[in-house]
Amino acid sequence: MKAMIIDDEPPARRELRRLLADFPWVETVGEAGNIEQAAGLVESLRPDLLFLDIQMPGGSGFDLLTRLERVPAVIFTTAHDEHAVRAFEVDALDYLLKPIDPARLAEALTRIKSAHAERTRRTEDVLEQLFVRDGARCWFVPLREVRLLSSEGNYIRLSWGSAKPLLGRALAALERRLDPNRFFRDNRQQIINLDFVEHVELGVNGRLRAQLRDGPEVEISRRQARLFKLKMSI
Amino acid sequence: MYDVSLPTQHVKSQLVYWIFQLTGWGVYSLSRFIGGVTVIHLPWVHFGLQLLMVDALGFGLSHLLRDFLRRHQWRALPIRKLILRIVAAAVACGIPLGVLTQFTDLSSLQDANEVLEGVSSALRIHLALPVAIALEIANWSLVFLIWLTIYFTAIAVREHRSAQFKQSELTRALQLAELRLLKSQLNPHFLFNALNTVRSLIADNPASAQGAVTHLANTLRYTLSSRQDELVTLSQELSIVADYLKLESMRFEDRLRTEIQVSTDAAGVRIPVMLLQTLVENAIKHGIAELPSGGLLRISAAVRDELLVLEVENPRPPAPIFAAGEGVGLRNAQDRLKLLFGTRASLELDLSKPAVATARLHVPQQR
Repeated sequence: MKAMIIDDEPPARRELRRLLADFPWVETVGEAGNIEQAAGLVESLRPDLLFLDIQMPGGSGFDLLTRLERVPAVIFTTAHDEHAVRAFEVDALDYLLKPIDPARLAEALTRIKSAHAERTRRTEDVLEQLFVRDGARCWFVPLREVRLLSSEGNYIRLSWGSAKPLLGRALAALERRLDPNRFFRDNRQQIINLDFVEHVELGVNGRLRAQLRDGPEVEISRRQARLFKLKMSI
Repeated sequence: MYDVSLPTQHVKSQLVYWIFQLTGWGVYSLSRFIGGVTVIHLPWVHFGLQLLMVDALGFGLSHLLRDFLRRHQWRALPIRKLILRIVAAAVACGIPLGVLTQFTDLSSLQDANEVLEGVSSALRIHLALPVAIALEIANWSLVFLIWLTIYFTAIAVREHRSAQFKQSELTRALQLAELRLLKSQLNPHFLFNALNTVRSLIADNPASAQGAVTHLANTLRYTLSSRQDELVTLSQELSIVADYLKLESMRFEDRLRTEIQVSTDAAGVRIPVMLLQTLVENAIKHGIAELPSGGLLRISAAVRDELLVLEVENPRPPAPIFAAGEGVGLRNAQDRLKLLFGTRASLELDLSKPAVATARLHVPQQR
């Protein structure tokens, strides 16, 4: 498993490298001292795991995550900002307090390892999760739980549970990265999660109307309706 | 008015009053009724109704008395005055009820003849009625005296309890304030990062790790032992700032560079303890730590016109982002200066230069 260390303090990076030496299956592929440098390295090195400090020059660890096209597994490392991590909506997030307790590190890595094994078994190169920040709130959004992605200008509105966070990306760019077996472009503005389709009715002019569980009713355009029928073999 | 601060407390004290009032009067009436029926064998319905009427008046009068006491704030009176007024009030309430009682069957509960024993029968005829009335008045006055004593005792007990409660609340608030102060001085972010640096240095450079522990110990000792109103010389404060800066240089390595220029006359000026330290911490937190390549932190001090001019200058990011709660350190420092020096000292944060922040302190050379 490839890991990257992002922390602005050199002694802190060295310390973590040393701690990671006890886990031969974790390979530290790179390190960065600020988020600018980190963003470039993450895209080129494609690590599976980030050790991420929160307070850094030029932007926080959260800022880095919102900029990443593809968010790997993250373990936050912090001296005192654990409240910032705990403020997350998802409790699946891991954080380590500095100075890092080797036993806590081992626990966190074990959790990540099993999740990682699960992911590599499914090999396809599709996006699993998105990091979304809306105002002061941050989420790791598992894509399979998102029922609808709608385009709002240069943004994407995610319908996820009762939340509707906004993602700073264009729908067309994201579409290529989505799992084609799960997500379907129903019209120019929207992509739906097929797992959430409850029932489909015939609409006017060869269009279809699909009712999403917990969500709105969406219209499948005439062009896409043919594709939809093919896909669902109806 | 009744000054009870909490509504629940008010409701509770009302309830206590009514319980006392009803039981007190109930027991009193019942005992007289039983006495009248069993000892003097009075017709119980007739007697009972009259007793009920008179005691209801007593009950009502005592309730009005309570209103009166509260409106005139008797509980705030000194004890001597209070006792005199209690006696007067008891008699004042006793008179109407005593007179009234004399004209009911209840009067037979008191026997004037016992008092007038030995007095000639001619005189007894004249004296029988006044003595009987006086006895009734004395009896009722005694009842009200007891009522008032119970009332003021209950109030005293309650006030004592609430004073104790307030005292313990106050102590707790003070302790909390002290704890908060200590926490703000300790700066956990610095502390844990420093410990992390030490952990790293133990492997990298043991000699340097030993040095770091010493610097950390010095910084902590100074922080923990300083008091809000304490003054130290600039050179004393600078020695602790030097320890602190050494620790921070180990953390930030080449990102933090420092330059200190202090004239000899400035070094002896007394300044509030931890004030320069706070300014330096802020310079690192909002300046150096926010910049990927760090920068130069400059401390300079000189005396001009019998005034110490102390400057802490640091590079800053182009758009400083101030989160809520920041600037507390600066405001706290300003408050302390004002308390210690009045208007003769000042502290300002100068952001007029584009990428530089300068904290400027003015303190009189002589206090």
